[in-house]
Amino acid sequence: MSKAKNFSVVGKRVQRVEGFDKVTGDSKFIADIHLPGMLTGRILRSPYPHARIRSIDTSKAEKLRGVRAVVTAEDTIKRPWGAFFADQYILSVGKTRYVGEEVAAVAAIDPDIAEEALDLIEVDWEPLPGVFDADEAMLDGAPLVHDDKPNNIAMHLDLERGNIVQAFADSDIIVEDTFTSMPQWHCAIETIGSVAEYSPNGKYTIYMNTQTLFNARYRIATALGVPETDVRVIQSAVGGGFGGKSCDDNNALVCAVLARKAGKPVRVINTREEEFLAGCRPRVFMKINVKLGFKKDGRIRAKELKVIADNGAYSAKAPAITGVAAMRHDTCYKYSDVKLEAKLIYTNKIPTGAFRGFGNPSAEWAVEQAIDLGAHALGIDPLEIARINAAETGYVSPHGNRVTSCELKQCLDMVENMIDWKAKRANKQPNTGMGLACTVHVSGKRHFGDYDGSSATIKINEDGKALILSGEGECGQGVHTAMCQIAAEELGVPVEDVEISRADTDLTTFCLGAFASRLTYVSGNAVKNAATNVKQQLYEQAAEMLEANAADLISRDGRIFVQGAEGKSVTVADVARARLFRHNGAPIVGSGSFDADSVLPDSTRFGNESGAYNYGVQAAQVHVDPLTGQVKVLQMVVASDCGTVIYPIGAEGQVEGGLAQGIGYALTEGLQFDEGRPLNPNFSDYRIPSMRDMPPLQHAFADSYEPTGPFGAKGLGELNMDPTAAVINNAIFDAVGVRVKTLPITPEKILRALKEKKG
Amino acid sequence: MKKQLNLNVNGQDYEVEVEANRLLLQVLRDTLDLTGTKEGCSIGVCGACSVILDGRLVSSCLTLAAGCEGKKIETIEGLAKDGKLHPLQQAFIEYGGFQCGICTPGQIMAAKSLLDENPKPSEEEVKEWMSGNLCRCTGYYKILESVMAVVDGKTDPNYAFRKRETTAKIQSLDVYKSVAKTSSD
Repeated sequence: MSKAKNFSVVGKRVQRVEGFDKVTGDSKFIADIHLPGMLTGRILRSPYPHARIRSIDTSKAEKLRGVRAVVTAEDTIKRPWGAFFADQYILSVGKTRYVGEEVAAVAAIDPDIAEEALDLIEVDWEPLPGVFDADEAMLDGAPLVHDDKPNNIAMHLDLERGNIVQAFADSDIIVEDTFTSMPQWHCAIETIGSVAEYSPNGKYTIYMNTQTLFNARYRIATALGVPETDVRVIQSAVGGGFGGKSCDDNNALVCAVLARKAGKPVRVINTREEEFLAGCRPRVFMKINVKLGFKKDGRIRAKELKVIADNGAYSAKAPAITGVAAMRHDTCYKYSDVKLEAKLIYTNKIPTGAFRGFGNPSAEWAVEQAIDLGAHALGIDPLEIARINAAETGYVSPHGNRVTSCELKQCLDMVENMIDWKAKRANKQPNTGMGLACTVHVSGKRHFGDYDGSSATIKINEDGKALILSGEGECGQGVHTAMCQIAAEELGVPVEDVEISRADTDLTTFCLGAFASRLTYVSGNAVKNAATNVKQQLYEQAAEMLEANAADLISRDGRIFVQGAEGKSVTVADVARARLFRHNGAPIVGSGSFDADSVLPDSTRFGNESGAYNYGVQAAQVHVDPLTGQVKVLQMVVASDCGTVIYPIGAEGQVEGGLAQGIGYALTEGLQFDEGRPLNPNFSDYRIPSMRDMPPLQHAFADSYEPTGPFGAKGLGELNMDPTAAVINNAIFDAVGVRVKTLPITPEKILRALKEKKG
Repeated sequence: MKKQLNLNVNGQDYEVEVEANRLLLQVLRDTLDLTGTKEGCSIGVCGACSVILDGRLVSSCLTLAAGCEGKKIETIEGLAKDGKLHPLQQAFIEYGGFQCGICTPGQIMAAKSLLDENPKPSEEEVKEWMSGNLCRCTGYYKILESVMAVVDGKTDPNYAFRKRETTAKIQSLDVYKSVAKTSSD
């Protein structure tokens, strides 16, 4: 029997609420916001990976005609800030620690003057020796990125669940290898930007293209040393987020400081080069040593992971990301005994941070290849190994993650059928191979205090339409449409009768924003609860009008009636107006909150990080040209378990878009550094996939229902970024018998491996 | 040095005075306030700034405005006529050919320039042509589907965006009638 349920709005191919504005070019992105008298801000960035600043002379820049403000750290309170560790400043205080770090900034009446003024700022630099490799950075005597961090260690995790020595002793075979992942840039087609205004009464109003408004407000208030109420963050349309616009950078802060000093609105938008140098915080580079012990029948008996993660110069969210890389995957298969050691290391490179997958792509790149190694060592089909070990509903991971719904085995069946796994493997062609990998992700993550919730308000307008006020972060993924569907379903109105506001910290209630694949699940539940509240108010008024009991009423398609007596009804519009336009009238407005039933991990990282877990499987067939090393992905198939699919067009888009980023991560995306200096910070040298790079794809959603989700839904956004690199590399191994162990998997590396194999 | 320019954008003539080194992208966005054309990479790689210049697709971030004297420029703002979307715009909504929408004006202009020249391209021709327009959100499958829907005539002939035309009728008159009724009761 199907687990899915029938709904009137949920699961329908509705149109994106912002559709009209997006296709007409009318959406107001950050570069489209223009305030009267607005100045252009530009940032002076460090040319050195590590240097002391002896002095800064801004007098010449200040005198340039058209310049309205020049700022340095002296214009700030020099209070360090950061998502998990307070280790960065708005503008360099005494020292810079990576190429691109913000040193000073200028606001001028036009961009050319601002640029010219940057050249007039005189900095007396004393270059210092830098450290660019995490392994070298840990050595005694290595230059210190931060004087108070011995051996450049930002974080050290060392955990064991069960008895790892015994578990490896019990294993029939053991496989072990080391896999290195590379940083990956978000490459949202819109770069990070802000428009800030400062009122002399002390209030900052900042337009930002951020995916996490309230976190932005908190960090801005902290770094500026003002109460949160004095900072209003208004979200512009966001041209792609992927974690890169979650406010770990200094763009909005510099903009705010310039606006205060200039007394005029200021706009600061990163150029594409700045975005690579110091804008979004790229995916954390990791070297992962993985060791797995298997029983002869294919069961995983022991797992040991050693992670060395390159933090870059400041921490952003890398401490949490490193933890995820070390632990999240233990929710994918049924593990008993695991050990992990993870070190996060400061280097003089761009700070790393949140990118779709949050540590999971690096981990799955390593662990899903180790599973494949195990399958080959045991002579068991990799798909069977996955099936033998797959997590199921009710599974509790060694770290306490409680799985309330899991269709991983169903996803394996789906993938097996879609790609015709057995037949293709049986009929293997030369230089052609098949690979697969499983994936798990969260639907929210409890790590901002002991809270992983959301809230929403819904008001019914005089025309009967509902407006959701939400502070959550639509960043292009389409979650606002899903939220409108959830509200429409609960209220019993057509989805066209539900609108949603953009987020604004002064007007909407506290929301954490878009990260950890949380919005459909967490904010969806909050919206549903707000709609339940509003529906109750509608029913009370309607009961009066229909001379019935509120408890007997139901609503459908914008009308409210007594169940079983549809002839006599009132519209939501009638009800809203009757409630408002009368003596003692009041608008119908209601709020709802939700906080997931998860458990904040304790000091040993034991807890239950999320309210629900999403699962998936990807498989690929590839062809490798042994003469050129070129990889052609012939076909990919994907099965995803995200519970109920609320908004199919959006959900499919998340799968397809995640996969594209996974393919880029696997095959082409890499930034070369020379002594901490990026050599190819642009779109012609850092190559993201284009339309012709995408393989034929078939994908489907599992029949699934998450009991704690809104109408059975759970998260999806990151799931299909996570396993793709491992899937492709497993297929390459099947095709030609070599395994490249560092990302990206370039033709040169494949050729080298083929050559080594030949000897 | 400033320069006088006559530009024809979406059928309308404009006389502007701009610095000689200004790019078409800057003049469209900053001088004419046509902000539908977007800047993505500034080096002519990503296609977000695509516009049609005398029938040819160009990157407006690489095109000097001064070279456009007397030429016909088409931008995203010129596509919808009298509130009715161009078939490509409609298809992008119906088939989900965008997520964040920042590259969408460029994608649609690129597709338009192809279909203006060849209304029946093959899927392979569309893929090849559209590979100059980067998108980081969609993975391109739904962009391709949207363009092919126009090629194959699969868009909805009775299309209305979120039924605005029908719901718009409810409007305020009805509300105030209701007020009048309530107060006269």
